[in-house]
Amino acid sequence: MSAALDRQIRPIYDALDTGSNKSAIVACNKLLKKHPQNELIKALKALALVRSQKVEESLVLCDEVLDSKPTNDAVLSAMTHVLRGLGRHKDMVTMFEEAYKQQPFNEELGAQTFFANVRAGQWKSAQQIATKMHKQFHDDRYLYWNVMSAVLQANDAATPPNMRTLLYKLAHRLITSSPTPSYQNNDRFYLHLSILRELELYDDAHKLLDSDIGRAICSTSLSCNQIRRDIWRLRGMIREEGELAEARIMNMKDRNWLEFLSILDATFSYFTPSEADGPSSSETSKSEGLEHLAKTQELFTRIAEEDGPKDRSAGLALLELEKRARSHGISQDSGRLVGLMQRYFDQVGDKACCFEDLKPYLALEGEDLARWTSFLEAVPSSFTTPAELRRLMNAHKLLRHNLTPPQLTVEAETARVTRYLDEYLRGLKLGVDLPPTELQHADDLALLAANVLVNLWKLTSDEQYLLNAVTLLEYALTKSKHSFQARLILIRLYRLLGAPSLALEHYRTLGIKQVQHDTLSHFILSRASTFSLASTGDLTLATECLESTQIYISNSQETSDFVVRAFTAEKYSQIPEFIVFEDRLDNSLQRDIVKMEHLRMRISHEPINSDIIDMELIELKFIFDRTHHDNRDFDIIANYQPRSSDSIHLQTLLFGKQESLGWLWTFLKLYIRALQQGSDLDDTVEEKLLIGDRPKQTFDADKRPPLKERLVQKSDQELVELTQDELSFVEFASALAEWLEPYHDYTRPPPSVVLAEAAKQTEIKTGHPLKGVDLQELNGATTPKKEEEPPAVTEPPELVTKYFDSLKTRFAEVRKNPSPTEVLHVATLAQEALLLFTVETLRFKPASVVKVNKLGGLVASFKCIRSEAISVLREISSELLKQSEAAGTQESRKDFTEACEIVTNAGIDHDFTLGVAKKVTDARKKVLEGVSKGLGRVSSATNLTSLRTCRTEAKLQQEHRSTV
Amino acid sequence: MSVLRPFKATDMFKFNNINLDIWTETYGIGFYLNYLSRWPDLCCVQEAPSGRMMGYVIGKAEGVSTEWHGHVTAITVAPEYRRLSLARKMMRLVEMVTDEIYKGFFVDLYVRCANTVAIEMYEGMGYSVYRRVREYYGNLGLGKGGRDEEDAFDMRKPMSRDPNRRSVRANGRDMIVSAHDVS
Ligand SMILES: CC(C)(COP(=O)(O)OP(=O)(O)OC[C@H]1O[C@@H](n2cnc3c(N)ncnc32)[C@H](O)[C@@H]1OP(=O)(O)O)[C@@H](O)C(=O)NCCC(=O)NCCS
Repeated sequence: MSAALDRQIRPIYDALDTGSNKSAIVACNKLLKKHPQNELIKALKALALVRSQKVEESLVLCDEVLDSKPTNDAVLSAMTHVLRGLGRHKDMVTMFEEAYKQQPFNEELGAQTFFANVRAGQWKSAQQIATKMHKQFHDDRYLYWNVMSAVLQANDAATPPNMRTLLYKLAHRLITSSPTPSYQNNDRFYLHLSILRELELYDDAHKLLDSDIGRAICSTSLSCNQIRRDIWRLRGMIREEGELAEARIMNMKDRNWLEFLSILDATFSYFTPSEADGPSSSETSKSEGLEHLAKTQELFTRIAEEDGPKDRSAGLALLELEKRARSHGISQDSGRLVGLMQRYFDQVGDKACCFEDLKPYLALEGEDLARWTSFLEAVPSSFTTPAELRRLMNAHKLLRHNLTPPQLTVEAETARVTRYLDEYLRGLKLGVDLPPTELQHADDLALLAANVLVNLWKLTSDEQYLLNAVTLLEYALTKSKHSFQARLILIRLYRLLGAPSLALEHYRTLGIKQVQHDTLSHFILSRASTFSLASTGDLTLATECLESTQIYISNSQETSDFVVRAFTAEKYSQIPEFIVFEDRLDNSLQRDIVKMEHLRMRISHEPINSDIIDMELIELKFIFDRTHHDNRDFDIIANYQPRSSDSIHLQTLLFGKQESLGWLWTFLKLYIRALQQGSDLDDTVEEKLLIGDRPKQTFDADKRPPLKERLVQKSDQELVELTQDELSFVEFASALAEWLEPYHDYTRPPPSVVLAEAAKQTEIKTGHPLKGVDLQELNGATTPKKEEEPPAVTEPPELVTKYFDSLKTRFAEVRKNPSPTEVLHVATLAQEALLLFTVETLRFKPASVVKVNKLGGLVASFKCIRSEAISVLREISSELLKQSEAAGTQESRKDFTEACEIVTNAGIDHDFTLGVAKKVTDARKKVLEGVSKGLGRVSSATNLTSLRTCRTEAKLQQEHRSTV
Repeated sequence: MSVLRPFKATDMFKFNNINLDIWTETYGIGFYLNYLSRWPDLCCVQEAPSGRMMGYVIGKAEGVSTEWHGHVTAITVAPEYRRLSLARKMMRLVEMVTDEIYKGFFVDLYVRCANTVAIEMYEGMGYSVYRRVREYYGNLGLGKGGRDEEDAFDMRKPMSRDPNRRSVRANGRDMIVSAHDVS
């Protein structure tokens, strides 16, 4: 390239860097006039076009550049960005492969080709490139790239299981052929060991580990030591591992819990004799074992004394030892376990983690339990220091954990709340001087009290307990501004109470970011369509859905870069982990649950037309082929409920139902079926219109039944995740689809017509024909005259005609509930049913379609169903409005404060309670009013379109009116 | 008692109990992946036997010639697990790896001048202030702190490769540099 041209191109880069895509396009166009064949300018223009969402135009240029098989660095680099933007990773591979073929001595190009394969997850061709590079450039690193790729191919879901071992064997052969030993680099060593472990070549692995260098690596590298520990155990070297662990603990003062576990496992290996020892040896082994047990006990006791309160490892190891001895029936002293627990509590009871430390040992019974309980009950309830307070709180948590149902009466629980509240308020005094960023020492008492209040609500179904709980937690937040535990429970409770705006406020204060969207957004987005006001144009929750999905875009754009980096830096230990991480995010269950919720909100807001139907259909079908991972974090809420009862997480789920894969699957099937009926796209058309790579499939994907069959499969296991109201909605939807299927299939234009139309549109838009479509061939495509008669019009099934009426009954049932959550659930599902009906009947809107296909009778029954639906929606809407008015009155606020007796009696200020009451009642009013309005709007919109489609009838009515 | 093990990418799904604390920042996934793809041995996690994460450290190795050193980018322990020597153990690991694997001359870290808890902790572990860096941090918005809140101390501890302790100095608190003078 000439220096002059180079100078002229620089501003294009600058424009792209600063995001001025428009001016980049202008500059490209200008230069292209003079240099119409310049690949770099074309590539840069394609990039600017992709970035301005002009996908079709960009495609044309992109293909031109690809056809020219570029080898120039700058062009390749620009094209990398273009192809990534278009999701065409496979084309990127081809591009680099072509370039590398032309310049086989270009090492950088080889590496780029390898990386393109890595990004596309094409491990097999990655191996081929690595092999070629190793031959050509004689760098061992490429051999290891090859090994790593073989391992990754073995782990890939697209690889059949019987190929796995073969691939590992290949990796093994390759790594042993390396001229330099793997131990020259920790990560190569790690890779080598992991292959040996997989192939169960433990002796070979041991040989590597047993060298001076092997030992040296393991003493400094946590990851290599981890795999060493694994291999030793698998090789049956449990006792050697125990000795090594003892040496580390004694000589290096290592206090890693893994070392203690190794000693414990070694000790108890005597009591689970392996087959190799033979049956006769079991007695000798047992006496040997008892000796060993005594020694281990002595060792731990000695360390515990030496370490004192500075390190809890040995103290807990003693507990674990005793627990295991009990389970083997070889405990020497029946009182020992509780004795150790007491000693542990004496030493660690003033640390917050004491409760969690002791949890595994709490399953006590009879005498033990009695002793332990009276020990804890004797913990003084007066406190003058934070340490004493923590000790008391630990005692409460430990006692509560072991309560049995007879101890969980309303009276007993009420007494507990009163006590915790009293101690909480007194405990606050210990923290008056804390800076505002710190948490109060007494916070856990407030959380304990909230747990008890929730339990009381569960016992009685009386809402007053939840009102007390929110008031208390709001109060706690004024003292500890950053207590995320208090906030998490509040979010749950506000949703149960039908005050979603308050839940959202707290959620936002948590400052959820990045990957936390995946693990924590369930708190606010689970079944969020229940509270969505999208139908009124308020997109708050819909936006929250979109924001939470940003992380998945970052993942697909960034994570593979770091896989590439890890290859470059030869950090092989990380690569499989990165790929698991990428996959877990990409196929996250939460991602698609949110997608589903967003779709449900979207159709209540945007006009339903064929664009929306087609786009959503394609996306949902992709999702339907995914293997999902559940990354949601439910353990984050601290649970202080007794082990005999449900956890606070389960107790505070909206509608008492946890949605998961079954829920998602059910809704996916429901919507895919409806959208597919409403859409003209069939698979062949879709194939032609889609840009970018298709999702990777698992190895057994082709063994699945066809989509049509999968869509109507039902399983009870899936359906248990649904609420009663969702279930009847699902039944309605499937009856509707069943009924309309033959009419859709008959009326839908043939694929050739759809394709011709799409091609025409593309050409109008871009001036270029649609790639891979022969317009000539399609040109004459018109809807052929149908040979068959249209299917006879049948009456709608009862499940459809009676559905809206049944909603009325259902609404009347839940109307009297104190919390509006249930009525909102019924109301929003009613709205969704009407919208689904619109999706299903859109095709039959044009009068011409109805006429040609002789479906007048069918359309007439639509009209009845629709007007019935509208009247039910309107009725529900006006009822909600009434409720909303009642919710916001002084009266309801007064009821609220009166119900909060428990906390006000304990000393929480009446004015404070009134403030919370006002917020809650206002929030309820707002959501009831909003959903009511939304229902009204959806009804009117549907009514309008139905009037338009039934023009003839309307005209008749008009005539009728004029004659009157 | 706790398990000390390498930080892995999927720990990002589990670190909420640590990161929801206001003192701990949650970065984009690229931040963690970058460290893991280059210095995985300087990133580790402390985990309870129940599998719950208790704390983690993220570090790197950088610098040229005698400035070659280990750097602690983030260290954090969930509130309920503080004062159990977890930070001490993680620092010890970073020092060991810097010393034995990377052969660094020292380990260093940056800490808000206002974070007296952390500063005293590091001093107790043998670190000393090497210099004060102006406006290294954004304002936390806590008020009062002023300069101390935005300025950082660069604290260092020499490793065995620096037996003459050339990487530290006595009057570090008075050595003031601006944020662009450091990387
Ligand atoms: C700073 C932090 C990492 C300390 O973690 P930790 O595991 O509690 O620390 P350790 O138990 O290992 O403490 C080691 C020593 O530091 C000192 N120390 C730690 N926290 C202290 C505190 N709150 N008050 C006084 N001394 C303290 C003590 O000397 C302690 O030894 P000791 O317990 O034997 O007396 C933790 O408080 C934290 O995560 N804070 C928020 C994030 C942060 O500030 N990170 C540092 C940014 S550079």
